[in-house]
Amino acid sequence: MGKVAAKIKVMPNSPDVDLDALQERLEGSLPEGAKINGVERDDVAFGLVALFPTVIVPDDTGGTEAVEEAFSNVDDVESVSVENVGRI
Amino acid sequence: MSDRHQNLAIIGHVDHGKSTLVGRLLYETGSVPEHVIEQHKEEAEEKGKGGFEFAYVMDNLAEERERGVTIDIAHQEFSTDEYEFTIVDCPGHRDFVKNMITGASQADNAVLVVAADDGVAPQTREHVFLARTLGIGELIVGVNKMDLVDYNEADYEQVVSEVEDLLKQVRFGTEDASFIPISAFEGDNVAEASENTDWYDGDILLEALNDLPEPEPPTDAPLRLPIQDVYTIDGIGTVPVGRVETGILNVGDNVSFQPSDVGGEVKTVEMHHEEVPKADPGDNVGFNVRGIGKDDIRRGDVCGPADDPPTVAETFQAQVVVMQHPSVITAGYTPVFHAHTAQVACTIESIDQKIDPSSGEVAEENPDFIQNGDAAVVTIRPQKPLSIEPSGEIPELGSFAIRDMGQTIAAGKVLDVNER
Repeated sequence: MGKVAAKIKVMPNSPDVDLDALQERLEGSLPEGAKINGVERDDVAFGLVALFPTVIVPDDTGGTEAVEEAFSNVDDVESVSVENVGRI
Repeated sequence: MSDRHQNLAIIGHVDHGKSTLVGRLLYETGSVPEHVIEQHKEEAEEKGKGGFEFAYVMDNLAEERERGVTIDIAHQEFSTDEYEFTIVDCPGHRDFVKNMITGASQADNAVLVVAADDGVAPQTREHVFLARTLGIGELIVGVNKMDLVDYNEADYEQVVSEVEDLLKQVRFGTEDASFIPISAFEGDNVAEASENTDWYDGDILLEALNDLPEPEPPTDAPLRLPIQDVYTIDGIGTVPVGRVETGILNVGDNVSFQPSDVGGEVKTVEMHHEEVPKADPGDNVGFNVRGIGKDDIRRGDVCGPADDPPTVAETFQAQVVVMQHPSVITAGYTPVFHAHTAQVACTIESIDQKIDPSSGEVAEENPDFIQNGDAAVVTIRPQKPLSIEPSGEIPELGSFAIRDMGQTIAAGKVLDVNER
């Protein structure tokens, strides 16, 4: 089995969150075996900016659940959702 | 080139050649980046190998994408004369099914890859059922690896017959499926008709892709906008954020949030930090509704027109397939259902019918239990209010994944809603 890239949408809990610091905290929270390949940002609305880390996880160890859970517990994160998955 | 767009799922059993087919399609349509081809040519020449080995390009692409700073999944794209395709290359593991159901890019049509030397295999079944559950329109069946069976027509017909049986089982109309003998590795019948299959006179793969019906954007359906998050923004007030699934959100619309059962007039809509007069399906927006406070609405609510509000289910009947459960599922089982942005514990109140996989007919009325591999019609009672729609009316809001013990144990689609 190969690896899977998942584009994950992370919403901060307010427009005032320091996104650089948040990005570092996300990277620090990753479970073993997962890695981040770049983080995009997207303006949403009313000053809110979503972070879109692309996370690579193995195809055979059970989905993106561990990563979603880790990100959800990071300070200043409002919500975590998987936008897109594809094999690489 | 075309500006008409399709999301195309590539499905099939592991090792039946999905990745090779994706690579072949990218290569034949000129979508492999020039530098990858150049790099390969140089390496091939250095090693004294002439020619162009297709498998090598595949390896380089995978490496390239893993090494790259960003992997834009949506950029696995190719164009035919008629369409621009974005490939949804489905991961093999079942836990990704939840993402396929709740994710942003649902596939319009699919190519099912079945190896000629192996035939219908377990994941072939699972993916075909999911394709149907997820509302795939047409299925192109590529009977792949024809080179491994010496392009033998009898082997091809055998696989076609197996797949037709499978489609009947899941009630996927065989008139919505076409079959093509291909070799993704050698290139037979992908971009050019193959001399190796002179017994076959149907469309080649690129022709079949061109002939796919154009997906219709769900703008005719009523507005359905599942709420992802709710914010309080200084100077603005309460701002729900989410993606428009169907219909159109206009400034000035009178909207209703269900199941919270509150509503008001849309004052402003913003997308990419810019004020817009309306939002279409697929748009991610934040908006502000007169008279709505932060505690009035929550994640999992669905926003719709006040005069055609989102349906709230007292109970609903659904068709489910059990994908992985360590024991058996009986009435009373209460796992968590993931539907759009909602996660709600729901009780399987009754198991109404078990579907016989060999005939597609009802095998048993009111069975005592269902287990792995079973398809069944069940009646479900949400433990908290849940907005969900019949998939026959609004497919975007009509499918769900069932999760328990950290796994996706089943997937399904809503047949009928008994409204609250």
